[in-house]
This record gives sequence, C-alpha cells and structure tokens, in this order.
Amino acid sequence: MAAMEIHFTLNGQPVAVQAEPDEMLLEVLRRELGLRSVRETCGLGICGACTALLNGQPISTCILLAPLAEGCEITTVEGLGGHHPVQRAFEEVQAFQCGYCTPGMILTIKALLEEQPAPDEETIRRALGGNLCRCGCYLKIVQAAQRAAALLAEERRRQPGPGAAPVS
Amino acid sequence: MSRAMPEPGENTHRTEPDPRVTGAIRYAQDVELPDMLYACIVRSPYAHARVLRVDTSSLPADVVALTPDDVRALGLYGCQIKDQQVLAVERALYIGDPVAAVAAASPRAAREAAELIEVDYEELPAVFDAVEAMQPGAPLLHEDLAISDNDAAYFGMRPEPQRNVCHHFRIRHGDIEQGFAEADVIVEETYRTPSAQHVPMEPHACLARWTADGRLEVWTGTQTPFNLRMDLAGIFGLPQERIRIIAPPMGGAFGSKTFVRYEAIVACLARKAGRPVKLVLRRDEEWLTLNRHPSTIHVKLGARRDGTLVAKQVTCWANTGAYADCGPGVAQKMGFASPGPYRIPHVWVDSYCVYTNLPSNGAFRGYGATQAVWASERTMDLLAERLGLDPLELRLKNVLVDGDRYCTGEVMHDVHFADCLKAVAGQIGWHEGRRGKGLAVLLKGMQTPSRASIVVEANDDGSYTVHCATAEMGQGAWRAIRMLAAEQLGVPVERVHFPVPDTDIVPYDTRTTSSRSTYMMGRALVEAVRQLKENGELGYGECVNEGGLDPDTGQGIASTHWHQGAAAAEVRVDEETGKLEVVHLHTAIYAGRVVNPPAAQLQNEGSMIMGLGSALFEEITFAEGQVTNANLSDYNIPAADDLPRITYDLIERPGAEIHGLGETALPPVPAAIGNALFSLGIHVRDLPLTPERVLEASERRRVRSAAPV
Amino acid sequence: MARPIPAWLAPTSLEEALELRARYGEEATVVAGGTFVGILINQGLLQPAALLTLRQIAELAYLRVEDASASGKPLLRIGAMTTHRALERSPLVQRGWPVLASTFALVASPRVRNQATVGGVLADADYASDPPALLHALGASVVARSPQGQRLISVEELIVGHYETSLRPDELLTEIQVPGGIEGAVYRKFRSRSSEDRPCVAVAAVRREGRLRVTVGAVAERPQYFPEICALAEGQAGIDAELAREIGERYAAAIEPLSDARGSAHYRRRVIAVEVRRALEDLHQQIIATGGGSQRHV
Ligand SMILES: Cc1cc2nc3c(=O)[nH]c(=O)nc-3n(C[C@@H](O)[C@H](O)[C@H](O)COP(=O)(O)OP(=O)(O)OC[C@H]3O[C@@H](n4cnc5c(N)ncnc54)[C@H](O)[C@@H]3O)c2cc1C
Ligand code: FES
Ligand code: FES
Repeated sequence: MAAMEIHFTLNGQPVAVQAEPDEMLLEVLRRELGLRSVRETCGLGICGACTALLNGQPISTCILLAPLAEGCEITTVEGLGGHHPVQRAFEEVQAFQCGYCTPGMILTIKALLEEQPAPDEETIRRALGGNLCRCGCYLKIVQAAQRAAALLAEERRRQPGPGAAPVS
Repeated sequence: MSRAMPEPGENTHRTEPDPRVTGAIRYAQDVELPDMLYACIVRSPYAHARVLRVDTSSLPADVVALTPDDVRALGLYGCQIKDQQVLAVERALYIGDPVAAVAAASPRAAREAAELIEVDYEELPAVFDAVEAMQPGAPLLHEDLAISDNDAAYFGMRPEPQRNVCHHFRIRHGDIEQGFAEADVIVEETYRTPSAQHVPMEPHACLARWTADGRLEVWTGTQTPFNLRMDLAGIFGLPQERIRIIAPPMGGAFGSKTFVRYEAIVACLARKAGRPVKLVLRRDEEWLTLNRHPSTIHVKLGARRDGTLVAKQVTCWANTGAYADCGPGVAQKMGFASPGPYRIPHVWVDSYCVYTNLPSNGAFRGYGATQAVWASERTMDLLAERLGLDPLELRLKNVLVDGDRYCTGEVMHDVHFADCLKAVAGQIGWHEGRRGKGLAVLLKGMQTPSRASIVVEANDDGSYTVHCATAEMGQGAWRAIRMLAAEQLGVPVERVHFPVPDTDIVPYDTRTTSSRSTYMMGRALVEAVRQLKENGELGYGECVNEGGLDPDTGQGIASTHWHQGAAAAEVRVDEETGKLEVVHLHTAIYAGRVVNPPAAQLQNEGSMIMGLGSALFEEITFAEGQVTNANLSDYNIPAADDLPRITYDLIERPGAEIHGLGETALPPVPAAIGNALFSLGIHVRDLPLTPERVLEASERRRVRSAAPV
Repeated sequence: MARPIPAWLAPTSLEEALELRARYGEEATVVAGGTFVGILINQGLLQPAALLTLRQIAELAYLRVEDASASGKPLLRIGAMTTHRALERSPLVQRGWPVLASTFALVASPRVRNQATVGGVLADADYASDPPALLHALGASVVARSPQGQRLISVEELIVGHYETSLRPDELLTEIQVPGGIEGAVYRKFRSRSSEDRPCVAVAAVRREGRLRVTVGAVAERPQYFPEICALAEGQAGIDAELAREIGERYAAAIEPLSDARGSAHYRRRVIAVEVRRALEDLHQQIIATGGGSQRHV
C-alpha cells in the first residue's frame, strides 16, 4: 500500500494532500501545506502547541492520524486572518512571550467562547488546562480570553440578529 | 518616554498584527534550505563505556553517516573547560552521549537509518552522585582539564584534575573558627535539589551549510551566537570570521540554548554530505542535552542570641554531569549567592563543580541561585525557630543595606532587600498571623565582567536599523531595545527595525544570559545614538562591565549590580495525603527602571510560575544514569489550573538603572513555599515538595513532638 | 528505505468492520479516537501492518436509555465511538448518570476528550485512566462482537491487566452498558502533581440496589475491587464514619500497589486508606441528601 490522498477543508479551502496512513496530521500540515502555526512540543497530546480546530473543536494534531481528517473542516490560526477578536485581545493584553504556544491558546479560546460567550476565570483556566505555556503567560492569557469575550460581545451588539455568528 | 510605550490596542489595526498571534513567526526549527538533509543522533545506551566499533555498513547508500573516525582530528571544545569532542570518540560518558549521527532525506528516514548503526561498547564503572564522585577511587571522567580560551571562561577556573572536580570556588572572609566560637547558637543542615528540564516549547533546532568558498553558516536557536562561533572556530580550525551564526527567535530557551549544542555535529554532517543539514531534536532528547545542576548543599550558620549573624559556612556540590559546559560558572554563582544578602563577619564557602555520568547540566534560569537560596533561606528559618524569633525580623536585622560590604568585599549600592521583604510580608498578611506562611529573599549577581555593543544605522526612508546580537527567546528584548532606541531617537517604535542577529553584521556581545541584555544594551545604545546624531549615518556604542572575583578567596567584584527580590507564600496542607496547596504567592522585585511594562510583568510572572514548578513537582528522575521521565507525561510542568493567586510588585526608583527581570523571582519561590511549610512544623530538606515528602516530614514532626523531651 | 506502509481500512458499516477485523486479526490495529494509537506510533512503539478505523461507522456513536435490564431499571447504552466530550455533555447522561458526566470531564484536556472514545478507553485498559474504575464500580458491561455473534462482558472481566483485555482478536467492542438504579455514586481523582496529571489514586464508590461497590483505580495493573470488604456495608442504611475508615484501611491492606512517577507503592497505600474513606464519606452525604432514594440518579 502506498501513500494515500486525504481531502479536507483547510481554513475554508478544500485541499487534497498526500500522506502515509500512519502519519499524524501535524506532520502533513507542516510538510504538505506549509503551515507553521501548528508546532510540536510533546508529541503526546499534552501541551497543545499543535492545536487545530476539527469541525470547530480543538484537537491535538500530533496524535491525530492524518486520514482521520478526511472530510473534516480544519482551522488553524492562519485561517483567522490576524484581526480576529481573540487575536486582537492577545495583542492588546500582550499575552505572549516566545509565541510558540500562542496559536493553540487562541484557537482553544475561540472554541470556548463560541460555546460559552462569557466564561468566568475558573472556566477559562480549566478550558486552557491542556495548553501549556512554558514562558508562563497564563495570567495574561486568561485576561486575553476575558478581553476577547468582551470584544466578541461588542461585535455581536453591533451586528444583532440571528446572523451574528462569530467572525473568523 | 510615553510616545514609545505601547498603549493598549495601539498595535491592533494600524500596523501588521504581531507574527506571534498570526503564527507567522519563524523559529530556528522553521528554517529551510533547498536540498537539505535531516539529521538524527545515535546515542550511547551506557552511562560509561569505551566505544569499540561503530559499524555503518548496513546503511543505505544515500545516507550520510558521521562516526568517531570523522571527528577524531577535530579540536576539543567546551565554553569553560575543553573536555568535549564532536562525538564521544574514546568513551561515552552518559546515557545519551552522541556516538554517531546520520543525515538522510527525511526526518523519518534519518530515524530509521540511525537504528541501523551498530556500536560495540565495553561498559565501565559509572558514578552519578556528586559527593561520591569526589571520593578517592571514583571512576574518573576526564584525564585532562584544559581551561577554554572561549571568553565564557572569563573567571579564574580552578580545576582539580584526577578528582572529577572541574572548578573549586572559595570565599574566605573573616575567620570562620572564631566566628563560630562567638556564636550562641549554631544550626546545621544538608539540602538537595534535583535536576530539572528547561522544557523550551521549541526543541533545539539548527541548520548548517558550507559555502562554496569554505565558510560555515549556521542557523540556530542560540542565546550565545559569539561563544558558539568561537568554539566552532576552534573545532574546525577556522578563523572566527569564516563562520557565520544567524540566530532566529526561539520558542523559549531558559538557559538551554547556550554554547555548542548540536551545531558541531550538524556542521560535520553538512561538510561530509556537501549539502545543508538540519536537526530538530525529538522531545525526549532534550533531557539528554542540558538540564539544571542537581545540588547538595551543606549550611552551618551561627548567630548571637539576639539574632545577629556571626558566621556561615557553606559547601556546595554542583553536579555538572559528563561535560563541564558552564558548570564552573554555575558553581561559582551558587557559591557567592549562598551566603545570602546578609551582613556576616565570618563567611567560608567551598563550591565544587563535579563531573558525574549524567547528561550535562548548564545554564538554567536562576543559574545556581535557585539551589543556593533554597539552602540558605531555609536555614534562616531554622535559626529563627531555634531563637524564637520572627523570621522576618531576623532577616531585617541582618539584611544588607546601602554602603554595607558583602562577603566578597565589595560595597553594596542601590540596595533594596529590606524593601522587598517588607513588601512581600505585607502582601501575604504576615502580621496577621504566620501559620502557613513563609518568605525568602534573594541576591543574585549579574555576569561580570562582560561586554555588549550595538550599532544603529539611519536608513534612507527615515527609519533606523539596530544591529545587535541580543537573542530573542520570548523575553521581549528586541522590542525593549527598539523602544529604547526609539525613545532616544525621538521616533515611533515602528520606525526602528531589529533584524535577526547575524554575526557577520552585528557587533560583539557576550551573550544573552544572566538577565543582563536590556541593561547592558541600554547603556551601549546611548553612545550609539549620540554618535549617529552627530554623523547622521551610523553610531556604535559599547558597554563594558568590569570586575570579577579571585577564585581562591572570593574577594573582588562579583557583580556590578545585583538582582534583588523576595517571595512570600501562603500554603495549606492536606495532612493525611501530604498534598500541598499554595494559596497565594507574592514576589517583590527591585526593577530599577521598567522599559516595557507588559514584558517586565510577563518575565516576572513566568519566573514565579517556573519557580512554582520547581517547588512542587519538577524533578528529573534517573535509574543508574538513565532518565526515567523524559517526556511531558512523566515530567509535569505547571499548567493554567495549577496556579495559586499570583501577585507581585516591581519596585522602581526614579533615575535608576534598568535591572534585568528574567530570573529574579524564580529562586526565592521554592524557599518561600518551603518556609511556609516549616511554619506548620513540616521541615522538608529536598526539592520538590512532593506530597510523599511532605507526608513523610509531617510524620517525623509528629514522632518528634510525641517523643519525651 | 523499505518501511512497510500500513494499509488504511475505513469501513462504513459495522458488518464490514467485523469482517475486516476477522480477516486481519492482530495484523490490524483498531483505531477509535486514535489518541493512544497515535502516541504509540509517535514513540516508535507500534508499526502496524494495517490500521482499521471505526471513525466512519455512524452506527457506533450514540447514547440511548432503555428499560431493558431484568430488574426493569433503566440501562444506558453508549456506542463505542461516542467521544468523551459527547458523553460528558449529554443531557441524558448529566440527568441520569451525573457521576459519569463529571468523571469523563476529569479526563485529560478538552482536546483529548474531543478525540478519545468511550470504547477506546476501555479497550485500551491503561491502569492510569479514570473511566475504568468508575465503570467497574457502576457494574457496567461491554458488548463484544465478532462475525460469529456477540457476548456481554462485565468491565470486571474485560480488563485483565495493564493494556490487557479479554477481547479476542476477531472481536470489536461495540457498546458499553451502564445500569441505572443508582442510589449514590462518587468518583475521587487524587493527583500528586499537576492538575493536568493522570490520577495517582482513583476511587469510585457506588451504591446500587442497597449494595456497595468500591473500586480503586490507577494503583495496580487493573481496577481493584474487594466484594468481601464492601459486604461490611451490607444491610446498613448509610456508611458511618467508623465503617468508612475500616473499609478504607482494609482496602489499603488488600491492595498491592505499584510504584510510578506519581507515587511509590508505600505512599499509594497510605493514600488509598484516606481516599477510600473520603469517598465513602462523600457517598454517605449523598445518600442522606437524597433520602437514600434515587432522585439524582435514575
Ligand atoms: C495527553 C493525554 C492525557 C490523558 N489523560 C487521561 C486521564 O487523565 N485519564 C484518563 O482516563 N485518560 C486519559 N487519557 C486517555 C487515554 O487513556 C486514552 O488515550 C484514550 O481513552 C483512548 O481512547 P481512543 O478512542 O483515542 O482510543 P484509541 O487510541 O483509538 O485506541 C486505544 C486502544 O484500544 C483499541 N480499541 C479502540 N477501540 C476499540 C474497539 N471499539 N474495539 C476493540 N479495540 C479497540 C485500539 O486498538 C487501541 O489499542 C489521556 C490521553 C492523552 C493523550
Ligand atoms: S505537540 Fe501535540 S499536544 Fe503537544
Ligand atoms: S509564550 Fe512561550 S510558550 Fe507560551
């Protein structure tokens, strides 16, 4: 059996990539699609540096067999465009040092806020439990999540109605 | 100043988003060149073994292999002691010591090829504990201990050949015998701290190529581009200018990305392959690359009945592992931090840097101070208990103030230890009751002597470019330097560029360690900008920090300025399981002048959180020299949900110098938590404070108090 | 290099999956969420000849309540491919089996729970996982299917060792069944290091139909349960402090704990006594609060 072709939607665009069946999505996103926001630290599903959203939910791409992405919607930070409210909140609060964990943090918070628009600090900390930041920016990351919640709420107020889905 | 400060939201719409929030930042691991190969290292499975034969005959033809024979003729290296070769040529000295390497077309192919190399070994006796390694008859790791010509060997090193000691640092101040004779009480204790991993999120990564005219170019995540260049020049017998180091931003370093790590191996592979070769370390290999020094520290402290300190004797054994790396420097700092920021008339310190068959230990955020403060500050609380004194009062009575002499003989200035202690005590409600509360104070030197230089260039479009070797590892140094330059040039920070440091372009700098960069570069910048304003084109500035200690007496200038801070902790203990909960952690750090407040806050928070990890659970475990927890499942680091209430003060003083903040808050944190436990009668000597150790210590207490007096 | 590239088998029906499973046997590694399989591959510990994914079998992801057990008590049926997240958020589970929802929410991070499945965690039989001890104490069973038919295996008989189950090479775990009629249920996860860590000692205590079942997880190769010790609570309305202490101490004496990075055997034994006692105290409170009935638990 040779390498296979896998099809999924990446940041809104349909893609087809070559991969071996026992490769992880992380390797494929980096090698075949040139994405650099997904990064390996632990390779065990623990740290969240490799986080992407799969159908809107955070997963560890380092332990997701690439063919399991078949037919799914994959979102990475490259797909947020740079001015997403969560990204803006991170810049305002300066919630990063080396920035290695930042994409994973941003995606995890984005998914959280879509489900719980106004989480308390406890909820945020727990949601971020599996995203490690060795630089130790957690206090500011929690602040950024709160700030992002406020920015998103503001945005919803400005565009009321049922169509007020979170922007990305 | 205010113009250069980032206002909240300033950067959001008007300028490009920060590459860290878009994922666009490119770290060393992301650097690529056409045609490059990928490296993988073959490592010794023995803690100490003669390398008899390396057989590469089953490798596929397209794989390039590097064996001891390829590197035998190359120079020895080592930033302080020249004790290392590119591969373990004669003997492998720890489990994980590189004995061969391969380069292949993909990371996977390289991994598979590495498994095909067969190595024959003859196992030799090994030693893992530093105290044991100094005993007569212990296996000897290195025959010759030549002092390096690298400028990281900036202090007088005192290796003791034939004894596994690569440096013996001493402080001889006063008359120690007389001091103890004058003491009314003497307390004595031995402490141990374990090895720890830096766990930078980005692993070590480097890429090397040789140009057609024989120059070596290396892209690597490094805090020490110039030291690296010096050692590579020695290895390859090239003039330094024939080597070019480019240092992209790092996904964290904390001391781990210093001096020569894998650059020499990758350069050898690239030369043999005739193609660029890149290495990105697997996570488990980080534990085999560089860790924190395990320490054993014995403290004997004597005082008068009223709490006046009269004598202190400290012996430190810093276990540096198989190769010295900067261990001598660490042992020296451990030594001169161990007396603590106190006036003590009689001080005697012996700090040994000892070889063992463990992976090398080197720079680690705190640089020896974490170990020293743990031992020193825990002993202060033992003394306070013995004398029935308030631990805060005991410290305030003895703490150094402006104009005092430290035990190194230097006169202290800009001293704020008492302010720091009072601030932390106030914040945890020390005066409302001391049960479950503890504090600790820290003095830590900055690397002395050292030199930094910077070039500022005016561009045609009215912007400026700063050329400087300072490494960016998340501490925000590039931005801070840009802000300082912008402030002095009177332009917005966006008009000041900071290209990735390249030793072909930037002027010399000692290294980005020891929390000295902003301070030193800040000073160099003043001159550079002055020159530029004069000629309109280019300015060069330099800052030299003079001093140094006599290694045999510890007298001289240990530091031109001191990092000063204190920590306080409030804890709760589940007495039945020993589980310790830190409720509140507060630090007060003397910051001098803060350039970039969010970055300063982040540095301090990060330091505290790393200290928390060291206090509670970070520990590399070994079984006969084999790391048994080389992954993030078995080695935990602090997560968001592990944090107590964290607060801090960054103490500023108008007109003060910039003080580095990178590592001041870390060392006193474990000691403050240990002292908080001690306030409950639980005396744990060794880090980390695992539930198991706490339970055991609390039982000892019960037994002790139950025993008849 | 001649590395064998594994075959990717992605059946879309259970029937097809069973047929492939029977054909390949141990040659094919079953992939549910793939979290554990992924780790093994990353660490070079597994080089499968084929990977058999259940991801595309829609009929294996469900949560249903049925009044099917002999006693007429409700039964929760969980399709093997149900993710931890789906279980923990299901109103059905939160209402009827709140302890299941809260325990699955304690597993790892939201990322792992989005991926890992209920079938996967049981088939995995990792001694340091949370759900096995709880499912054991709840008296849960699993359905194992092969082309020859199906059998019902209690979790107790399913997990035989660390990473070892009684599933045959031609069987797939297709469903988990959790009985209702629970009068009280408690799960305590004691971590010795980070809040993100796996348990050092895990205790599940359940009272159902007047019977107490205490299962201790993460301390030995497989979940630890001692019916003769639990029988001490037989016929008692509640569990008083003295009884809780005694059961805790007896569990501690009966278990031969292992040592790992999370604690030594000696330490674990100490903690077992404490945590079992605390679990029983919590259970007692719960039973009192619900009047011994089954208001909170179906
Ligand atoms: C970082 C991390 C932290 C974790 N922490 C915890 C924790 O704290 N507590 C906890 O309880 N768990 C924890 N886990 C989860 C863990 O124990 C397992 O990884 C997970 O439950 C496996 O589920 P899966 O669906 O991904 O299984 P897979 O990886 O797909 O499979 C696991 C095993 O079961 C087999 N298998 C799977 N499904 C079937 C089936 N239907 N029939 C037959 N065989 C099958 C597979 O072949 C494989 O051998 C953690 C996991 C990770 C990655
Ligand atoms: S690299 Fe994937 S979770 Fe750590
Ligand atoms: S910012 Fe460096 S790891 Fe989070």
